[in-house]
Amino acid sequence: MKSRLRLLRPFTAASSLVLATCGALAQTVTPEADDTSATAPLALENRPALTDWLSGSTNAARVGLGYTSDDNYMFGEYNGLSQQGPTVIGDLQWQDFHNSDNYWQLSLSNLGLDTRQGELTWGRQDRLRFTMGFDSQQQVRNDSGQTPYRGNVNQYLPGNWVSGVNTGEFATLYDSLRDFDRVIDRDKVYMGVEARIDDNWRFRSNLSYEQKEGHGDTGAAIYINGASAEAVLLRAPIDYGTTEFDMGLAYDAERLHLDGQLAYSNFNNDHKLLVWQNPYSAFGPDVAYPNGTGGLGLAPDNEQTSGRLTGQYIFSTTTRLQFDGSYALAAQDQNYPDYTVNPALVVTVPVPRQDFNGKVATSTANIRLLLNPMPKLNTEVFYKLRDRDYDTERDGYLYVRGDGSNQPGTPETVYNTNHDLTSQTAGFEAGYRLPLHSKLGFEYAYEEVKRRNAPVEKTEEDRYTLKYRIQPWSNFSSNVHLEYGDRAADTYEWAQDYYALLDTELINITPDNQRYITHPLLMKYYMANRQQWETGADLSYLPTERWNLNLNLLWRNDNYDKSTLGLTESKWYRAQFSASYLVSDSLSGSVYTGYDTYKGNQQSRAFRGGLEKDAFAIYPPLPQASDPDQDWELDATDISFTLGANLQWQLAPDMELKLDYSFVDTRAQQDLTTQPGGSVTASDLPDVNTKLHHVQASGIWHLRDNLSLQLDYQYYLYKSDDWAWENVQANTIANVLTFGQTNPNEDIQYVGASVIYSWQ
Amino acid sequence: MATRNASCQSCHANGDTLLWAGSAHQQENLACNDCHKAHQPHDIALDHRESQQLCLTCHTQVRAELHLPSRHPIVEGKTACVDCHNPHGGPGDAALRQVTLNDNCFSCHADKRGPFLWEHPPAAEDCSLCHRPHGSVNERLLTARGPALCQQCHAAAFHPSVPYGSEGLAGGTANANVLAKNCLNCHSQVHGSNHPSGARLTR
Repeated sequence: MKSRLRLLRPFTAASSLVLATCGALAQTVTPEADDTSATAPLALENRPALTDWLSGSTNAARVGLGYTSDDNYMFGEYNGLSQQGPTVIGDLQWQDFHNSDNYWQLSLSNLGLDTRQGELTWGRQDRLRFTMGFDSQQQVRNDSGQTPYRGNVNQYLPGNWVSGVNTGEFATLYDSLRDFDRVIDRDKVYMGVEARIDDNWRFRSNLSYEQKEGHGDTGAAIYINGASAEAVLLRAPIDYGTTEFDMGLAYDAERLHLDGQLAYSNFNNDHKLLVWQNPYSAFGPDVAYPNGTGGLGLAPDNEQTSGRLTGQYIFSTTTRLQFDGSYALAAQDQNYPDYTVNPALVVTVPVPRQDFNGKVATSTANIRLLLNPMPKLNTEVFYKLRDRDYDTERDGYLYVRGDGSNQPGTPETVYNTNHDLTSQTAGFEAGYRLPLHSKLGFEYAYEEVKRRNAPVEKTEEDRYTLKYRIQPWSNFSSNVHLEYGDRAADTYEWAQDYYALLDTELINITPDNQRYITHPLLMKYYMANRQQWETGADLSYLPTERWNLNLNLLWRNDNYDKSTLGLTESKWYRAQFSASYLVSDSLSGSVYTGYDTYKGNQQSRAFRGGLEKDAFAIYPPLPQASDPDQDWELDATDISFTLGANLQWQLAPDMELKLDYSFVDTRAQQDLTTQPGGSVTASDLPDVNTKLHHVQASGIWHLRDNLSLQLDYQYYLYKSDDWAWENVQANTIANVLTFGQTNPNEDIQYVGASVIYSWQ
Repeated sequence: MATRNASCQSCHANGDTLLWAGSAHQQENLACNDCHKAHQPHDIALDHRESQQLCLTCHTQVRAELHLPSRHPIVEGKTACVDCHNPHGGPGDAALRQVTLNDNCFSCHADKRGPFLWEHPPAAEDCSLCHRPHGSVNERLLTARGPALCQQCHAAAFHPSVPYGSEGLAGGTANANVLAKNCLNCHSQVHGSNHPSGARLTR
């Protein structure tokens, strides 16, 4: 580990230097109200105007019909158009400000879809506002899969099920498969109030309830150990309710501004345990079909109470202090299920507690002192704290492995582990305006992260950022930045996980060179030594009043220089270009294109061969663990290319046309390298490709001043060849019964016609 | 610009705009009316369904991510940029609304909040270690495909340390650690487990 000073010493020294400099400078200058050297943003000329169908009206209602050409789950993943057939188009926007004393606003959208939402607001100008509303969301996922399971939280197989030691022996599988939907609906209702009590005080409060229902998917295994496991994919029932309440007071005076809030969040899951019947015939009659069952714990009920105070104190026009502090307590006391749902398995030692009764207290603090000692100089000193205190009893759990065998002996007890975290960051930032409308900025930040029961107890990082912005001409601006971060971890105690989890008895009878769970040469990248370089540029150019060009570039390199195994390096390149052209007042267009590449290099060492190593069994030292010939390397690259175009054309005074096109092409590559002549071999994986074409067109014909006709058309083409699902039938994997789902290959069209009535 | 903003801030000095001074947008010399249209019937910056169009005019680099195969419903307007970020500035990184990045995620995904008996430490520490919130080439917004993602941190003395190549695909050995949900075929509780037999995140 590098020799480092304590956190507060460099922070205090740097802060003092900045403050002293600022103080000295502040005595000799006076702030100017307006600084002509300031730069101005350029990319605002293409600001979208209004929601299309409103067409500038204060009040409008739209009704119509739409039609989707086929069932789908990618096109309709979130927009409510996943089902083939007609849908109702319904939107309403109404507001009434005619009464000088109070006002009304009503907004309803997507009324004919499962993604409908609406909000009603009543208020008195700047004194009082009541809001109530609802928001429905829907997510649909791949619906091409099938399952033989019936039931919801207790999933069982049909009576004629023929079991086997692997999926190939399930003779009645294909007769048993049934379609199912993976759809998750969220329905939220909310209300809120804001009131100005007097010139200094404001009050607000919000209450919401969200119901989330449907089915996702989950893997579920019955096993004895990692080498003897048999799994199924199941529908995962979701029936969540989340209630949230908050109330806050804000205080405003000339110098002091405060905003305090108390909040409460309660999460309730109506389903506690997912139980499924074992379809396999292995592991003896108590575990095999038809008697064997598995139990999967579902998300436990939990609640969080929190308080937060945010504020600002303005010392002068050049100096202000901003602060934000919070304390949150998340608690969970969901009753435990038994070690196993299978009553035939022998359990002699009961669960040590009735419930977990776990608490996590999170404290945060953010303090910023902003100083503008000179009109051209702005500085900032900051401090950030995040403390996660995981408070729970540490108990021994003699757990039943995978509902596949009786409770083991006491040496195999495992212990729950507290993962506390304290992160502190301190630093300063300065920006100075230079000629040619330019500004040079520098930031230094020092971060210290302390973790408990982790392989690394402490990491420290120095981060330096240099920023430069220049706007030499009124039609050109450039932002560039260069950032360097150097993170140092103290000694990587690879055995820390091992000691925290396992029982002393087992540890003592385990040879020294096997006292680990993860290989000692692997460093978990998020707490490993890292050197990070990043540079980027953003260029905006308006060659004429009608053109707007933008180029955005980014390059980042993360080098985990002390890591032998694990993630050793990652690189990220990104280039985005956009151009817009205002041909005339009635015609404008824009295009954008982007290329994004993320590369990761990771290494590992395969130490298997011969017998599988049982996590709890004692073997002679495995020679592979120290044999670099067992090393392998994976280079993974994710690439995405995007291209989009937009056209807005007012064909005639009473006719508008809008056209959007998006093209997205992605590729995920994984190349594997093993040691020449070694016993470990692996071949490169094929690329995973996705391709999307999406065209959206809409036209509005204004029949009269207050009556319009809108036509919408969408064409959506999407295809993927993910090898994780390609040609994987329900029984393709010997020890995993899957859904047999196919990759998406969608060719969808949507048409809609609606009438818009507007009034003032 | 400062004068124009000051006239707005004479009334809007608290709530969302409390920390405007020193915020990224303030330092970019944005004026209030660069985004807000106070004298139009509808201010798109205040329209939850449409406001992301406004953000993307400057944040062009995010636009591509929003169209990737795995994404949040931002394009559809069901999640807005301003649900997570406060454009007027916030005390933390990226002007997030909640006090930590994880709290931002838990505000919609409270089922992942726990606390769990068996935690997965990186999940409790920072959701973005495994997920890209704006969009990803990989399913479930993951930063990398499985099983490689898991193997960035796990190399235990049996199946986690083994390289999985194309020989494990359908038509080959059809390896359970490669196909379907790969590691999650068995270790499905990657966000944490509250089952007393869930130490391996399989229950």
